[in-house]
Amino acid sequence: MTTEAPLLRLENISRSFGAIQALRDISFDIGRGEVVALLGDNGAGKSTLVKMISGGLEPSSGRIIYDGAERHFTSPADGKAAGIETVYQDLSLCTNVDVVANFFMGREIVKKYLGIPVLQEKAMEAVVAKALADAGTKIPSLRTNVEHLSGGQRQAIELNRFVHWGGKLVLLDEPFAALGVEQTRRGLDLIRRIADQGIGVIFITHIMSQAFQVADRMVVIRQGKVAGDVRREDTTADEIVQLITGEALGGRARNADRENGQAQPAA
Amino acid sequence: MVSSNRRAVIEFVLDHLVWFILIAVLTVFSLTIPNYFQIGIFANIVEQSTFVGTLAIGLSLLIIAGYMDLSIESVMALAAMVVGILFAKSGVGLGFGFTPAWLVVPISLAIALSVGAAVGASNAFFVVRLKMNSFIVTLAAYIWGRGLVVALSGGRSAQELPGELRFLAVERFLQIPLMAWIAILATLVFAFILNRTPFGRHLLMIGGNPTAAYRAGIKVDRLTATTFVLAGAIAGLAGWLLAIRTSGATANLGVGMLFQTFAAVVIGGVSLKGGVGSLPGVYAGVLLLASIQTAINLMGMPAHFTQLIQGGMVLVAVLLDTMKLSIRKRLA
Ligand SMILES: Nc1ncnc2c1ncn2[C@@H]1O[C@H](COP(=O)(O)OP(=O)(O)OP(=O)(O)O)[C@@H](O)[C@H]1O
Ligand SMILES: [Mg+2]
Repeated sequence: MTTEAPLLRLENISRSFGAIQALRDISFDIGRGEVVALLGDNGAGKSTLVKMISGGLEPSSGRIIYDGAERHFTSPADGKAAGIETVYQDLSLCTNVDVVANFFMGREIVKKYLGIPVLQEKAMEAVVAKALADAGTKIPSLRTNVEHLSGGQRQAIELNRFVHWGGKLVLLDEPFAALGVEQTRRGLDLIRRIADQGIGVIFITHIMSQAFQVADRMVVIRQGKVAGDVRREDTTADEIVQLITGEALGGRARNADRENGQAQPAA
Repeated sequence: MVSSNRRAVIEFVLDHLVWFILIAVLTVFSLTIPNYFQIGIFANIVEQSTFVGTLAIGLSLLIIAGYMDLSIESVMALAAMVVGILFAKSGVGLGFGFTPAWLVVPISLAIALSVGAAVGASNAFFVVRLKMNSFIVTLAAYIWGRGLVVALSGGRSAQELPGELRFLAVERFLQIPLMAWIAILATLVFAFILNRTPFGRHLLMIGGNPTAAYRAGIKVDRLTATTFVLAGAIAGLAGWLLAIRTSGATANLGVGMLFQTFAAVVIGGVSLKGGVGSLPGVYAGVLLLASIQTAINLMGMPAHFTQLIQGGMVLVAVLLDTMKLSIRKRLA
């Protein structure tokens, strides 16, 4: 990256839930247009970290410096206003309303009549139709409630939603968990494309091959601490697995590779 | 897979089921009960629906947002009693007047709305700020609200509201008293707000998935609090109308309306799990209940039959709700 200030800098971020210390002294940077894969075992603290960056949780201590200034987001609305888009691990859709309503959740197109904002359904539907068509996502009707859609279709809506709204930093918490092979490939391309527009991306995954396909850097969290922060070209899948598990390379690490079940880049 | 045309028809029928039931019930009553089929009877059904119809607006909004408001009946009575005490001329009424005399209309309305909004704000404080369960908070307000009515009036009644207010209960347009038109207008206004404005859309989303709404940047707490205040103010409006109708207020004014309102809201298609419902449907539910009550009166059956039937109808309504859900699942 260039010498200009990073897009996001985390300084000694800690967070505890009562007696549980979920994160301690997390520090790392992410630059504009950079893709950082955030890796770690179940319960390592990845989702917690993402929620603190997006504004959904406040750190117990530490500083978040974003876009040149220290920030204290107290709600996701603050994060959004600052240009941080998030796709959460547990999906954030309202299944009782239709696809269009979900796409525009909180940012509806309105026209004011006598000062009263009125929803512009036709205009919104056209935008959603175009966004989904561009992304190659097929959904039978934009006016069906999301409860009738499949898990993959729901995830596709969330992904297309953040692409449409853009922003400066995108946080993706296991965004492809419910996607098929083809949709996952499109999703990975998408990450690259938005990074090329200068948007920073933090991407959480358990699948090593995905991380190696798109990430510029990999940050490994183990038991709430940064266990490693390495550039992709300087590391190997074996090394990352070792950082995740905290064990020296041996039988167990190799097994973990196989469990991930994906083609590994030549180590 | 059902053809998309047939599917659209089925969806339409399911969405407007209560209207079809209402038409069917009115047809059956008109054919079987002597004297039922008269404009006067239908106008009377609409008139009867004024208070429950108004209360149902606020209750529906809160249930759609995933909350509960049991306080509405007492809030209505409280607003009616305050109006009665201030402006009625006899009983506990103080008989305040203005020049010009018609000023009593906007002033009494503003007072009734404020009384309702104040109780709504208190509910909102406990539910939104202190994160207490809305069922319990509003149950408490239901109890203390009625207690306050009795305390204010000393158990006595206020009578004789000025003619400027009575006007709304006496004057008719198309055989229906003006106050019933006010209830209909309020239903239409809030139906528009629910379906066509971001406020209404966000209310539905909060009822469906509050976490998602919060993450999307919707000010969930502020919206919820606003809705509690609105529901209180609407109950205040119902109280104002009820005071005008009865030309004053008694300590037990409107007792039992909470359960009628509840029945109408459920019959009208508002799902108790939140996130689903439309206000015209709820109004149809109110009309349906009033139609049945009128039929019972006309047939000379004892009044407690109404309660038996209304209780049965709530059960049927919840059953229908469940059935609609499974039909929709099969359509998808
Ligand atoms: N609200 C909470 N209250 C208490 N503990 C919590 C809370 N949120 C997270 N934790 C704890 O913090 C730790 C980190 O959780 P987190 O969800 O961040 O893990 P993760 O790395 O995202 O795991 P996974 O890969 O399974 O999604 C866990 O021990 C979890 O139990
Ligand atoms: Mg997680």
